[in-house]
Amino acid sequence: MAGKDARQAARPRNEAEETVEAIHRGNVDAVVVQGPSGPQVIMLQGADAPYHVLVERMSDGALTLDADGSIVYVNSRLCALTGLPADQIVGRTFSSLFAGSAPQQRADDAASDAQLQRVDGDDLPVSVWMRQMAMGGVVATLVTLTDMSIQRRAEEVANAERFARSILEQATDAVVVLALDGRITHASWVAEQLAGRTPVGQLFSAAFPLDAQSASQQGTLTRFSRESLDRALATKPFHGVEVRLRDERMSGRSFLLSGGPLVNDAKETVGSIVTLTDITDRKRAEEQQTMLVAELNHRVKNILAIVQSVAGQTLRTSPSLPAFNKAFSGRIQAVSIAHDILTQTRWIGIGFNELLTTVLAPYGVGEGRISIEGPPVLLEARLVLPLSMVLHELATNASKYGALSAPFGQVAISWRLCDDRRRLELVWLERGGPVIEGSGSRGFGTTLIDRVVRFDLDGEAELDFARDGIRCTLRFALTAETAPEQVPASAVLPH
Amino acid sequence: MTAAAMEQDGYNLRLYVAGQTPKSVAALANLKKLCETHLPGRYTIEVIDLMKDPALAQRDQIVAIPTLIRQLPEPLKRIIGDLSNAEKVLVGLDIAPS
Repeated sequence: MAGKDARQAARPRNEAEETVEAIHRGNVDAVVVQGPSGPQVIMLQGADAPYHVLVERMSDGALTLDADGSIVYVNSRLCALTGLPADQIVGRTFSSLFAGSAPQQRADDAASDAQLQRVDGDDLPVSVWMRQMAMGGVVATLVTLTDMSIQRRAEEVANAERFARSILEQATDAVVVLALDGRITHASWVAEQLAGRTPVGQLFSAAFPLDAQSASQQGTLTRFSRESLDRALATKPFHGVEVRLRDERMSGRSFLLSGGPLVNDAKETVGSIVTLTDITDRKRAEEQQTMLVAELNHRVKNILAIVQSVAGQTLRTSPSLPAFNKAFSGRIQAVSIAHDILTQTRWIGIGFNELLTTVLAPYGVGEGRISIEGPPVLLEARLVLPLSMVLHELATNASKYGALSAPFGQVAISWRLCDDRRRLELVWLERGGPVIEGSGSRGFGTTLIDRVVRFDLDGEAELDFARDGIRCTLRFALTAETAPEQVPASAVLPH
Repeated sequence: MTAAAMEQDGYNLRLYVAGQTPKSVAALANLKKLCETHLPGRYTIEVIDLMKDPALAQRDQIVAIPTLIRQLPEPLKRIIGDLSNAEKVLVGLDIAPS
């Protein structure tokens, strides 16, 4: 004990000397002094103190290595990145910080990528920059580590933003994103076109003033004041309200208004996505379809009326049931051919020459028995059915009693335009048939021709029963002076 | 190593630092390296941060930072500075170079 006491007694002098020497040499950077409330640590700051503060404040991790690759200093950011206190990092080898191979200093002074091992077991992507420096005769390595997870996250966010933006750009609907206060934060290209300028920053109701399409839906829309509509659109699902835009440029166009909440990662509603879909074409198509169904209904009734009329008249002029059957079938066939023509030409009309060729095909129009000659004329659709029936009657008569009933008989059909091309004159001339006695037949065929030409074609028919063959002259209007009668007059039963 | 063995052969070291001052971190790094080289498995280091609790300076009458105290084996020894002069530290701690 005596020896120990002696050493203790000698210590203060040696220690004081040693302390002064250490301070003098710069080997200490803090001293402890006795203050009024106990010991206090006083830092002995050198010229490098400001840099030390800066390094401690850096957002990047920083460390220094000695010549052996051992860590001698780490800043607080690196401690945060690894999750370890400084004293558990200092003294370790540099390579022990990383999962996988440790980064090396690059010749081009650029950073390299590495995976920093965290205390929680996760790896953190970092970008590592290193440079060796000679400091007071000792080689040290300065290292910075940048947390790339933030940058990666930022890149992911930027990519997601670009992705969302490209969706907005490509969208064929007007798509806008609303904040909770109803102001537009994003708008698709179509939405900008619809608003006439960029609507970003405006309230939805200001950028897109709406009227409901129907009275019932106007009620839905007017339940909201302008402000409450903005709020409703921004917070509640809103589906399928047909609206119009109160904008002259958009007059006559219809839109479907829909909206749904926009939810963030924390499942909180942060706004909404509202779309305005242009349904004008769809509505027009619906209206057209309704019109077509009505038109089809109308035409079916017309056809039935015609069939009924033809049946009645054929029955009255037929001597027997087989004769009725033959005549009725022929006439219905003529109606059918006329309808085929109308369907094929989409009810636009047909060239007169083509009509003659089609209707008279069963009677030898292509075999030299029937010749046709005249200028090109486009017939309106309304003329197709009555003309088909007239031509069928003429051809049937010719094949039963006239030129086409004889082996060498012929029919010459010619026409010309008159009355400033508004009317057409057609001449049906039969030659080479049996000699016609008396004034010819005034049976149903001629009655039908007369009625159809007068009432359906707004024209007149002259039938000349000459001995050497029938000559029939038809004159009728090519264009309707007034709206054509929907039900042909020929379909009205004679009293 | 058992506590008894540590009592006999081990080095019980206590390093006083002031947060992460350059000399403090250098002293810890130098000490760890030196112990691993010359006293593998035969040492313990207790780091005391006087920035957190300056009152602890009284226990070993610390006046400068960093300061290394050799508690065991006796006698108590102290070395002031960043321990960068390994030879001086080995002599100061009575460690024979291996």
